[in-house]
Formats: sequence, structure tokens, C-alpha cells
Amino acid sequence: MLSSLPESFRKHGLQADIRTLLILRKAMQKGLIKTLGDLHNALRGIIVKGPEDIGPFTKAYYEYFLHIPITPGQTLEDAILRSETFKQWKTQYIDEADKDTDLTEEDLVSAFLDQVHLTSYDIKEVVSGKEIWDKDNPDQVDEDSKETDDQPAERMLDKMADYSDLSLEELLERMEKVRNQQRTKHSGGSHWIGTGGISPYGHGGAAKNGIRVGGQGGGRMARKVIGDKNYFPVDKDALLNDNNVDAALASIKGVIEESAIEKLDIPTTIKSGLKRGGLFLPELSSEKYEELKIIVLIDNGGYSMAPYVKSVQQLFRKMKTRFAHDLEVFYFHNTIYDRVWIDERRSKYISIEKLLMYNKSYRIFFIGDSAMAPYELSALSIQNIQAIVKKFKKSVWLNPEPLKYWSGTYTIQAMKQIVPMFPLTPRGIERAVREMNTKSTEG
Amino acid sequence: MAETKHWKGSEKYLCDPDLAQAFHMARSLGMPLLIEGEPGTGKTELPIHYAKDRGLDLEVYPVGSKSNVEQFVARFDHVKYLRDSQIEILNAQREEKGLESKLSTGDRNPESLADYVVKGPAAISYSKPNSVLLIDEIDKAPREFPNDLLYALSHRKFIMPESGEIVEVSEEDMPAIVITSNREQELPTAFKGRCIYHYIHFPEKDVMGKIIEKHHPGLDEKVVKVGLDVFYHLRRLGLERAPTTREILNWLKYMSDIAPKDAIEKIEGLEGIGALIKTQADMERVNRMIGAGDNFRPSHN
Repeated sequence: MLSSLPESFRKHGLQADIRTLLILRKAMQKGLIKTLGDLHNALRGIIVKGPEDIGPFTKAYYEYFLHIPITPGQTLEDAILRSETFKQWKTQYIDEADKDTDLTEEDLVSAFLDQVHLTSYDIKEVVSGKEIWDKDNPDQVDEDSKETDDQPAERMLDKMADYSDLSLEELLERMEKVRNQQRTKHSGGSHWIGTGGISPYGHGGAAKNGIRVGGQGGGRMARKVIGDKNYFPVDKDALLNDNNVDAALASIKGVIEESAIEKLDIPTTIKSGLKRGGLFLPELSSEKYEELKIIVLIDNGGYSMAPYVKSVQQLFRKMKTRFAHDLEVFYFHNTIYDRVWIDERRSKYISIEKLLMYNKSYRIFFIGDSAMAPYELSALSIQNIQAIVKKFKKSVWLNPEPLKYWSGTYTIQAMKQIVPMFPLTPRGIERAVREMNTKSTEG
Repeated sequence: MAETKHWKGSEKYLCDPDLAQAFHMARSLGMPLLIEGEPGTGKTELPIHYAKDRGLDLEVYPVGSKSNVEQFVARFDHVKYLRDSQIEILNAQREEKGLESKLSTGDRNPESLADYVVKGPAAISYSKPNSVLLIDEIDKAPREFPNDLLYALSHRKFIMPESGEIVEVSEEDMPAIVITSNREQELPTAFKGRCIYHYIHFPEKDVMGKIIEKHHPGLDEKVVKVGLDVFYHLRRLGLERAPTTREILNWLKYMSDIAPKDAIEKIEGLEGIGALIKTQADMERVNRMIGAGDNFRPSHN
């Protein structure tokens, strides 16, 4: 049971392994997981290791547990609406709820999310708030007065409380069964939300009375999932933008280098001095420190680059908060001639000679679309770029232009010959950094 | 038995239900809770208010660029040990010469190594069952620190340097460990793997309203509303350093001494905005984008 979980979550670029399952099991034993919503939250706590993981996690979770695949660029709402799971759920929901069928799609998705993300905490809240509920909610009762006789609110709440005691083993077993059934495509109307015991509403209790448990719990979650950009999957192959800049940052961190310096080791000095009967000789120990030397050359001329300049700056600014002194940013327009500019408006500059005087251990990131009129890529320009690449062995070019257009642009082809070129995407950056790390600055 | 009842925040502290669940889960599993998020989302506040609300002992370890696991767990004070050993020798010499007066080593005895062990927050909280341990801003630490910590945290047992004394805690009595990070550097995967992770998103307007209510309960509703409009508008400008919870609380505190009507006027006139904007570049930007056009009347647009 669940043994395929790590593998399928790993496919989404998440860290999941046997430890994930062990922690999950322990959480179950401690009674932390009683609903599908609990399972979602617990797994998120275990698997998600950064905001950039939340998107892929949502994607993996919906795919694995709910069979709702989310394609790149698709919103969660859209994915839900198109899924088989939702269609089945909807039929039954409307059936059981005896609702008017003119519920908007938005309402339905919201109700669906309420159920999927309902946690046992929400249920407890409702149960403990029961008295308040009874007192405060005459309207709701009036509205559905026909139904209240056979299904009083109290009983429904009891049911919810009972539900929270449902054993998780049971829950998962059923889920697994349904998974298999769905795989073989003759599920024959038995589906998991609702009758499967996963729905906190049991057989159409709550909905009949118009109680929305999600008022504070599930509903909040639903809104969050739909409205929050963090919940949308981060596509590692998407071009750098505000949403995936964190993922890119994670990839680019690989450029930090470690080295060691010698330092007087006071404790050892004293200890050995005492052993020598008071003769103190300095003892040295080596201390590691991190080094990051980067020069970023950004093409900020022309409209083609405008959308990316901001994201690129943001990416490197984030790095700069930690490595204030070793990061230099210069600007150029289309290609590099005899100078690069210090400021964005390109009013102050340094000459190429000066740029070449930087220590050769600097890493160079060219960032530009490398699209220009062929004559702009003059012999002088080529020579200078070659000089940079020759001096700084760890140079790469990050290009925001979609990969498929590269072969059609002459200047990209030409530039690619001089500087190793990668797409300006989190994955591209990752590859660029890996490429850099294989090169030595010597020679 | 450890305190593992579900905690949902206190009078002063509004705990997001998601965060409360993550915290509960971490404590039930005896694992550290790693909280990340923008500055000003109340990462550090959680353990502080939790400890206060439940009357538990709180140990805080503020992480810095020089942090190491010795400071965190325990270190041996070599310098003091040297001093005291020298004093012993000196005293012996003085005695030989017939001098009565002795130099003091405090209550420490160089024979007993445990006297020279300086316990850090980790060792202290592990020796107090059911306490709360806050490791603040772990992203400021040198890279090896989280990995060293990992070993310390997963073994529930510390061996004190030199003295060999063992500080041990059972799984039931594990302190509630909360680790915060501003994400200035990526933490090692192995480290994160041993924590329950929670990312705090910046509070939405309605939640922020509740937070303000908790801190300044007497504040006029309309003042809060107008203040929030301005605040979230500023946050959307994409400033270098967007204003955070702390700043709006300070700003509104300043406004709370003023009659509501005047306060609203002052807020709309962006008075005392220095409380929200922290850099010169941002200030210029705000002036350029809002001040100059004089079109900022959030309640009317």
C-alpha cells in the first residue's frame, strides 16, 4: 500500500523516499491523519521543502490520490473540471444533495475542494462549535425545513465526529481499491468520494442541511488553492519569471565554492600547552569558507529582453543579499563591443580590458536572447566575447528565447559556438551550473 | 508525557490553522518544525507565544554567521580552565612561600571538568522535559551548521565535551523544536528531510485585519481599513523591501493616539510613511508613483 508513492512524487522533481513513508506511517500511528485533507497536509509537511515545491507537490498529490492530472500551464480549477474524478463526484454530489442543478462550476469546484481538503481539525472545530452553531443558525434550518425532520443537524454532526474516528488503514485501503478499479476502467459507479467513506459528509448528510463545514476550514483551503499562485505548479522548463525565480535560485546556488583558511585554534593550543607543562605553541586549524564570484552580463537593450531583465535582476539580487561583495552586474546591448555598462541606463561603463582584469576564478553569466542583425555580430564583438570566454573558463550564456527557435536564428547559432548556451529556465540554469562545475579555472 | 494538545494561537498571536496543524504534527512526531516565509509573517512569534501561553520554558538560539554546533549544544571553556589551572599552581607556590592569601577560582575545581562545560540552549532544553527550543534564522549560519545540527537533533542525546556527561531526553519529553529561516540560503536536503516543513505565506488583508485587532484592540475599524488599503497597495508596488507586519503594527500604533477622522486623513496623506518604507530608493519610488500624482485615495478608486 502506497509503495508507489515515492516513485510517483519523485517524477515531479520532489524528494520522496522510504523515509517519507516511514514518517507518514508514524503520523498515522499517532492519529494525525484521519481525512484526505489531513493526508494532504501531513504529506506536504513531509515532502515540501520550499515554496517552489508547493506547485509540484499539488500536482503530484492531485495526480496520485485524486487522479486529476494537471498539465503545464493549466490552472487547478480547470484541471479539476476536466477530470473524470470530478465528473463522478459531481453526479453523486448533486444526486445526494438534492441540490438545484444550476450551481455554477465555481461553486461545485469549491465544494469539491472543501471535501478533499477537509481536515480532522476542521471537523473538531465544527463539533466543538456545535452549540454555537445550533443557536446561531436558524436561517439555515428554515431554508431546508422539509429536510430537518429526518436529518437534524445534530445527528449529522455526530456523524462527522464518527467519521473522524475512522481508521486510516481502512481509508487507505479503500482508496487503493478504488485506484485499482479506476485503472481497469470498469469502476461501475463505485467511486471513492461520497460512498467510499472518504467524504466527511457520509451519504449526503451535511449538504442536505446546507451546512458548509468548510466555512472556516475547507473553504479557506479551497480559496487558497484556487487563488494562490504558489499552489500552481512550477514548471521547471518554463522561462524565468516571478513565480519560478525561487526554483531558479535553488539551481544557481550550485555555483558557491568552498575553500579553507588556516586559523589559530585556541582550545587545542591551550590543551596541548597544558600537556607540555605550560609551554604554549600555536596550533592551527583550517576553517572552511564559501566563495562566490560571479559576473552577470545582461542584455537590456531592445524590447525582446525587457520581460526577462526584471526576473534576472531579482534572481541575482536574491543571491546578493547573502554574498554582497562578489557579484558584479553589467549591461550590454545585443552584443558586446569594447565596453560593458555599469548602470541599467547605460551611461557609465568599463572597458573590456578592465573587465578582463577581474580574477579568472569569476564565473560569467551572459544573459541575452542573442538575437540581432547579423552585421551587429562583428569581428570585434566576436573577438571580445572570445577573449572573455578564454579568460573566464566558467562562462555560460543563458537565453530566454524558446529552444525551438534557436536553430532558426543565425546569431544564436554563431554565439552558441563561442559560449555554451542554455535556456533561461530553472532547469537550464541547473544544467549551466553543472557544466560550469566540470570546468577548471586553471590553464 | 509531552504536551501535544492542539494549539491554535493565543490572545496576542493569531496562528494560521495550517501552521497550527504543522506544529502539532511536528510535536506529535517529535520532529523539529522548520518554518520559512517572508520576514514579518510571525515565524519567530510562534514558539515564543506558544511557550508563554502554555507556561513552558523557552530556550532561544539566535543563529549568526559564526554559529557552530558547540555554541548550540555545549562547549568547554578552555580559557577559564587554563586560568584556574594556573591559579592552582600559583596558590601552591604561594603556600610554599608561606603566604596565606589565596586566589579564588570561584566555585570551580579544575579537577572536575564538568565545571567548565558551558551549556548551550540545546543542552539546556534537552535537560528540561517538555520545553520549547527556538533556533532562529538558521539560514544565517555557515553551511555545515545545519548538517551538524542534524546529527545532534536526531539522536536525542548530547555528550558534553571533555566531561563526558550525557544529556538525554526520551521521545515523549522531546522539546518542541522550531527552526525559522528567511531563505537567504538553501538548507541541505538531508536537513530538511528530518524536519516538518511549513512555508508561511504573507497574510491576506482579512487575516492582517485580525492580527491588527489582536495587537491594537481599540483601534477604529475604519482607520484599520484605510491603513490596510495603503499597506497592501505599497506591497504591490514591488519595492525593494516591502513593508511587513511589524511595520504596519507600528504605523497604526502611531495612528491610534489620534482621533479616527484625523488618522484617516493622515493615512491617506501618507503621513509617517517612514514607518513602512525602509530604504531611500523605495521612498523615492513611492513619491514618484503615488505622491506626485496625488491620486492615492484608496477608498475612492
